[in-house]
Amino acid sequence: MLNYTFDWSIITSGKYFDWLLSGLLMTLKLSALSIVLAFLLGLLIAVMRMSHNRPVRWIAHAYLEFFRNTPLLVQIFFWYFGSYKILPTVINDWLNETGFEFAAAAIALTIYTSAFIAEDIRSGVLSIPKEQMEAARSAGFSYLRSMQYIILPQAIRITIPPLVNQFLNLAKNSSLAMTIGVMEMTYQARQVESYTFKGFEAFTAATVVYLVLSIVITSLVNLYNEKVLNVHKAA
Amino acid sequence: MKKLATLFMIMALAAITAKSALAGDTLAEAKKKGVLVVGCKDSLPPFGYIDEKSRQIVGYDIDFVNAIAKKMGVKVELKPVTSASRMPQLQEGHIDIIAATMTKNAERAKVIDFSHTYFFTGQKFITKKGSVKSLKDLDGKRIGTAKGSTSEQNVKKAIPTATVLSFDDYPQAFLALQQGKVAAVTTDEAILAGILAKAPNKAQFEIPNLQISDEPYGLGMRKGDTNFVNFVNKTILEMEKNGEAAKIFDKWFGPNTQFHLQRNFKITAGK
Repeated sequence: MLNYTFDWSIITSGKYFDWLLSGLLMTLKLSALSIVLAFLLGLLIAVMRMSHNRPVRWIAHAYLEFFRNTPLLVQIFFWYFGSYKILPTVINDWLNETGFEFAAAAIALTIYTSAFIAEDIRSGVLSIPKEQMEAARSAGFSYLRSMQYIILPQAIRITIPPLVNQFLNLAKNSSLAMTIGVMEMTYQARQVESYTFKGFEAFTAATVVYLVLSIVITSLVNLYNEKVLNVHKAA
Repeated sequence: MKKLATLFMIMALAAITAKSALAGDTLAEAKKKGVLVVGCKDSLPPFGYIDEKSRQIVGYDIDFVNAIAKKMGVKVELKPVTSASRMPQLQEGHIDIIAATMTKNAERAKVIDFSHTYFFTGQKFITKKGSVKSLKDLDGKRIGTAKGSTSEQNVKKAIPTATVLSFDDYPQAFLALQQGKVAAVTTDEAILAGILAKAPNKAQFEIPNLQISDEPYGLGMRKGDTNFVNFVNKTILEMEKNGEAAKIFDKWFGPNTQFHLQRNFKITAGK
């Protein structure tokens, strides 16, 4: 037999519950911050990628290919350990004093995900007939203003389903932050496991948390879709 | 839907029965298969690490399991494990024995069986030279270690005000120390000595004489695998008697190595 007795009481109260709860809060904090930043940065990169200015377009293209095509774990290590070589000592000392783990993880998640988001937004924009841009320009809107008022509002709507995917990926990818000591959900679940050897219970709790978190993100975006953008499910 | 549920049930049952076959007599089964699967460290000199020339995993732990396998008449298959993964891997039958710098403690002994102590050390710190004179110097500081190890629990007890940062393994923890991200890295002295010996700028670091715990290492085997446990214990006691155990210690830690450790323990029954 499996020789394993389940004991759920250890994770529903007491010290280990507190650990898991603090892990949950850390995951929420890290995911929420990175989602907002990744969306804004992704928007910027998408606009740059479609710019008529060639150097700007190239910079965006290089950014996309670089951050899309390197593993997130490597990027996390790069920001946490690699930035040490580039930054001046004063900044390093300050970062070490305050604890750079959270920031490094947030930066890595933001930049990595923004590359995917940018491509999703671009594909949304490309699906808007280009006559609309031409009409907007001939009506006297600048390129950026036509983007802002005419193209992007429509494109974002189309982009929402793939964007939700990116948000979900980001929330789950945030577990990689534990490799540099960010005490998020998976880190705490592993901690509970190594103290109690009740790995099944701890990781079941973590699984449920990620599941609920994902469902909440999906529901929020759907709600935004329906209430604010008036996109109905049937459509 | 019902069909799907039945399918899952069958799969779950199959998984459980497949497992149950594994929790038998490892000694007999390994002899039948002709191979003993060992969970070891692969980046932790001198216990288990990849030799630069041969590209093979070698070390103190490896020599012990090699001797045991030789006595069994089987080959050794080495599987790198981390501190956090080794116990589940053993329980799930992916490996037959853990030889990965594993501290024996009561909590762990509830879940797996340990051999007699085959190595004895204590938990210390590695720090920038001169920065730590007593444990007080580490109050409120950030201290690095590896996940899933006992080191973390000990340091939380010894210095409650310190923040413990657990990295995936010791090389990252030491990199964090080099970059000043933590004030000290803590784990067993023998492991620290190994890290220090390999460090490129070792003159800047030291291991102050501050011990916060005793760390007896045991080989880990599945709970209730009595035949195998007895065999392993008998073998390492013989190795103590005929001097082979001391020879292995000297090979990896003795005066001709960079560690210069004294062997202050003996493998004895009942420990």
